[in-house]
Amino acid sequence: MFDHGQPSYAEVNKDILSTMLETGPKYWMLLGMTMSVAGICFFMPWIYQLFVGVGAAGMNHNAVWGSYLSNFIFWIGLSHSGTLLSAVLHITNSPWRKSIYRSAEAMTLFSLMTATLFVMVHLGRVWFVHWSFPIPNQMGLWPNFRSPLMFDVMAITTYLTASSIFIYMGSVPDFAAVRDASTGLRRRLYTIFSFGWRGTAREWHTLGWAYTFFAVFVIPLAVSVHSIVSWDFALSAVPGFHHTIFAPYFVCGAIYSGTAGIVTVMYCLRKFLGFERYIGQVHLDSLGKLLITLSLIWSYINILELFTTWFGGTSFELEALSFRLTGFYAPLYWEMLIFCAFVPLLMLFKKIRWSWNKMLLISILINIGMLTERFIIVATSQPRKFLPDSFGYYVPSWIEISISVGSFAIFVTLFLIFIKWVPAISIYEVKETLKPLRRNV
Amino acid sequence: MAILGSFAFEEDFLGAARKLKSSGFDKLSLLSPLPLEEAQEIMGLEKSPVRHFSLAGAIFGAIAGFAMAVATSLVFILPTGGRAIITVPPFLIITYEMTILFGVLFTLLGFHFVSGLPAWRDKPYLTSAGIDRFVVIVEGAAADQVARAEAIIRDAGADEIRHVEEDQ
Repeated sequence: MFDHGQPSYAEVNKDILSTMLETGPKYWMLLGMTMSVAGICFFMPWIYQLFVGVGAAGMNHNAVWGSYLSNFIFWIGLSHSGTLLSAVLHITNSPWRKSIYRSAEAMTLFSLMTATLFVMVHLGRVWFVHWSFPIPNQMGLWPNFRSPLMFDVMAITTYLTASSIFIYMGSVPDFAAVRDASTGLRRRLYTIFSFGWRGTAREWHTLGWAYTFFAVFVIPLAVSVHSIVSWDFALSAVPGFHHTIFAPYFVCGAIYSGTAGIVTVMYCLRKFLGFERYIGQVHLDSLGKLLITLSLIWSYINILELFTTWFGGTSFELEALSFRLTGFYAPLYWEMLIFCAFVPLLMLFKKIRWSWNKMLLISILINIGMLTERFIIVATSQPRKFLPDSFGYYVPSWIEISISVGSFAIFVTLFLIFIKWVPAISIYEVKETLKPLRRNV
Repeated sequence: MAILGSFAFEEDFLGAARKLKSSGFDKLSLLSPLPLEEAQEIMGLEKSPVRHFSLAGAIFGAIAGFAMAVATSLVFILPTGGRAIITVPPFLIITYEMTILFGVLFTLLGFHFVSGLPAWRDKPYLTSAGIDRFVVIVEGAAADQVARAEAIIRDAGADEIRHVEEDQ
């Protein structure tokens, strides 16, 4: 489990807390840079769009959904493995989960926040967003709960709430460790955050039960969230969207993309926070094996999607399929297949799976492929609806491209803030993986 | 008066806890930097009542979710293509999400209720219990029992024993 020898309990506290309590100029520079990119690339174009209207984006009469929604699906997808993987591995009692789950859960939370921002951007008149919530209003209007968009609102708010509680409750004992290691205002803040935790047997016992129940609730929730996102498409009659396979396809893609995201985040934690001791080859190897499995399932579902469309023989579906495989965006489709179906097969070789640099590269390529996949679903289906008079092209405008780039800066900014407020690795769970100290050893 | 005994070794700590419990010291607190099943067994902690909160929340959420979808569709009728106003399949999705939402919220409530947290009032505590020490706390010991409790803790291998006033 530990590449550089087993640390003592005190060393675990020291190593992990030092990343929170000691901040160098490089951190502030990086934070300033990501905040600037987020402001310039995301918020400024969005403000511009709010003034001139959503016409500033490249969406048009034939394609009313564009990159904002493909980005929304991408970020929701990226959110998937964090909490889901953490919950599944908690239930199955997998020891390799313990060093990586906290950051993976944070990834879930921040991806969800970024995804929600894209809904706001796509809405146009964002100041009416509260209309989608079931709250009493003077006009006597209520949301239409038969719409998959309302399923989305309910699912994502539930997922955001559950994920926040899941990560917070798992962090309470570690907040107490921060409290004990700090002074002044920070100590007072963490006294509140930790609820006065002392680590009594009763507290551990209650937390263990509650945490298991959170995990039990979160697993079906995570599966439902991306199924529901897929129904935004599948419940419409648009060729290329209307597939029953979409729910498992989206859920598998989401876990796949999220697991690749975890590899990227783990690389950064090792490299920049010095967690080599806690995130080792066993984690990389396990994540690599998981990625291969997911890539095979994802490829299988892709083949199924092609086959059922061809076998169904509906002319509208065949036209949409032909446009996807050979049309304007065909290079992106083939790029997606190479990055998500073929490149991951390299991980069958242990030499690749055990190399951090190679795994980083593969994980980034997988997520580029997954982002492309979401874009292709949106951009190649709507502009090929039934009759040629509704055929057209959708090309994202510079505003959309800028906002997409800015969203990555938002995610990194949130993560950088997170690592200074919450221990990026669970202190007490790492201790659980250590062999207990014996008097006679 | 509370007696705090700090141990470097898990086995010594558990031994002291067992001995104290069998000697009739019922008002015990066992502090550790990580969850220990044995400590929970000594304290007689088995199934947690948190599970009742989870179940109650899930049932409440399911009923509330379905009721909300039905009630709002009756209050604000949206006829679509002659379909039923109360459409069960899509409402079940809302029900499903609300079941989970309230299940989680009630579990959180249950955690606070059962664990007694937040508890910001000062209680006997050693900061080393959050790092690498296992601490036994005997609370409410009568003056004649203090020496006995202290002897048990010392014999078990405690590396530090402290006395604190209970209201501290």
